[in-house]
Amino acid sequence: MKRTILHCDLNCFFASVEMLYNPELRKVPMAVAGDPKFRHGIILAKNVPAKRKGVKTAETINEALQKCPELIIRRPDYPSYQYFSDRVRSLYEEYTDKVEPFGIDECWLDITESIRYFGSAEKIVKDLLYRVRNEIGLTLSIGQSFNKVYAKLGSDLAAENCGKKISSLAEIRDLPADRLLGVGYSTYERLKSYNIFTIGDLAEKPLDFLHGILGKNGETLYCYANGMDLSEVEDTSSSSIPKSISNSMTPSRDLYDMDDVRLVLTILSDSVAARLVEQGMYFSCVHLYVRNSRLQIRSMQTSLRENSDLAGDIFQCAVRLFEENCDFSMPYRSLGVAVSRLSFAKQISQTDLFGNEIYSLKRKKEEKALEEIRRRFGYKAAMTLRILEDQELSGMGPDDDCFFPDENFRR
Amino acid sequence: MIRKYVDVICLNDKGGNTRPLCLIWDEVRKIPITSIKEICPRSSLKAGGSGMRYTCVFSSRLVRHLFYDRGKWYVEMHDHVI
Repeated sequence: MKRTILHCDLNCFFASVEMLYNPELRKVPMAVAGDPKFRHGIILAKNVPAKRKGVKTAETINEALQKCPELIIRRPDYPSYQYFSDRVRSLYEEYTDKVEPFGIDECWLDITESIRYFGSAEKIVKDLLYRVRNEIGLTLSIGQSFNKVYAKLGSDLAAENCGKKISSLAEIRDLPADRLLGVGYSTYERLKSYNIFTIGDLAEKPLDFLHGILGKNGETLYCYANGMDLSEVEDTSSSSIPKSISNSMTPSRDLYDMDDVRLVLTILSDSVAARLVEQGMYFSCVHLYVRNSRLQIRSMQTSLRENSDLAGDIFQCAVRLFEENCDFSMPYRSLGVAVSRLSFAKQISQTDLFGNEIYSLKRKKEEKALEEIRRRFGYKAAMTLRILEDQELSGMGPDDDCFFPDENFRR
Repeated sequence: MIRKYVDVICLNDKGGNTRPLCLIWDEVRKIPITSIKEICPRSSLKAGGSGMRYTCVFSSRLVRHLFYDRGKWYVEMHDHVI
């Protein structure tokens, strides 16, 4: 049976919420941007008048102001965005229990089973557009198709407050390949060098050829382009288990030496470990992401012999990864730490005759005591001296600077 | 149009429902709500905001929308009234 999947995307979400409470901003160019003081000064969302003036998402405030000097900049209000995201999501749940969030403002809905209750997919689309606009005051673009990738493409192509149905490859054959989910800048450049420009070109190439040039990702893109994406829309009624937990941080200044890096990694490790303990999980793989001042990103990972939930283990692995793979030929702008291969059970392992088990047990007790103090009195009640030494760099608790919301990791 | 936030006296019944009874406009004027015609989630496109909209009939047979948005009550009104 052919599935019916919708992809609902809230139009310029952050800007729309700001305009909802300040209707006077609807007619003037306006954008939501982070605080330049903390080096988060990029455009996160903009309204239609700002878009007409050439303002683009992810450019810096200065670049945007050069194009549009009268641009009004608003600081983001994340609790408000979360509130509206939850409201819209609960509205979706009136139509189906299969709602899978993709970021704060996008969701996939599998309405295959709901059609017989509501009449038709078109009626559900019309209803959603009407209700989100009237009941919540925001607008949607809805893509409708038989798989998640085409549905997402549909919502990208749909105009504001409209739906777009994609029934076959023929309808999207001539679109540039980078419109497809999973084709980023570098993948598209790679594809272009092999004369693959459109989604049609991508779909016609043999699977082995794509595997040869892009590896496993090539197989995925072959399926995506041919409408063979069979992934399910996750059922929200079943509890979702995170696959990885991560935090990253862009400190107020660049990192020039190992002391700076250690400080940031301490905060990130504490923060990731706190979230792990909250979930009651153990990890056995640590990832480190670094971004230098030229915005080049590198990622690396290492595995543990035995799973753990200790901040100390995350920290040690992250520092080792950094020392083995990075140098200070260029300062670092941001760091990120992630843990994966999560499980709910502590692995029972053979005691290491030559390892220091007692030391590790002591460390565990020490960390649990620290956790208890922080749980009762807050993160700042007990900190390592390193964090206090450079308040400018560390000036935040671990939970204050979580760039990636939890739901991003529950796929 | 602007949002005018107001104090409201409410009845929270056993069923967990909230019913506004009286609107406190200022220190002098308290306007009782005679009946409520409709309760529905709505956005206020003119004054801005979004929440639960109560269509209230006041004692003077005046019908006005009263919005409840994240713990606050407001009414829509023209700027020149203030």
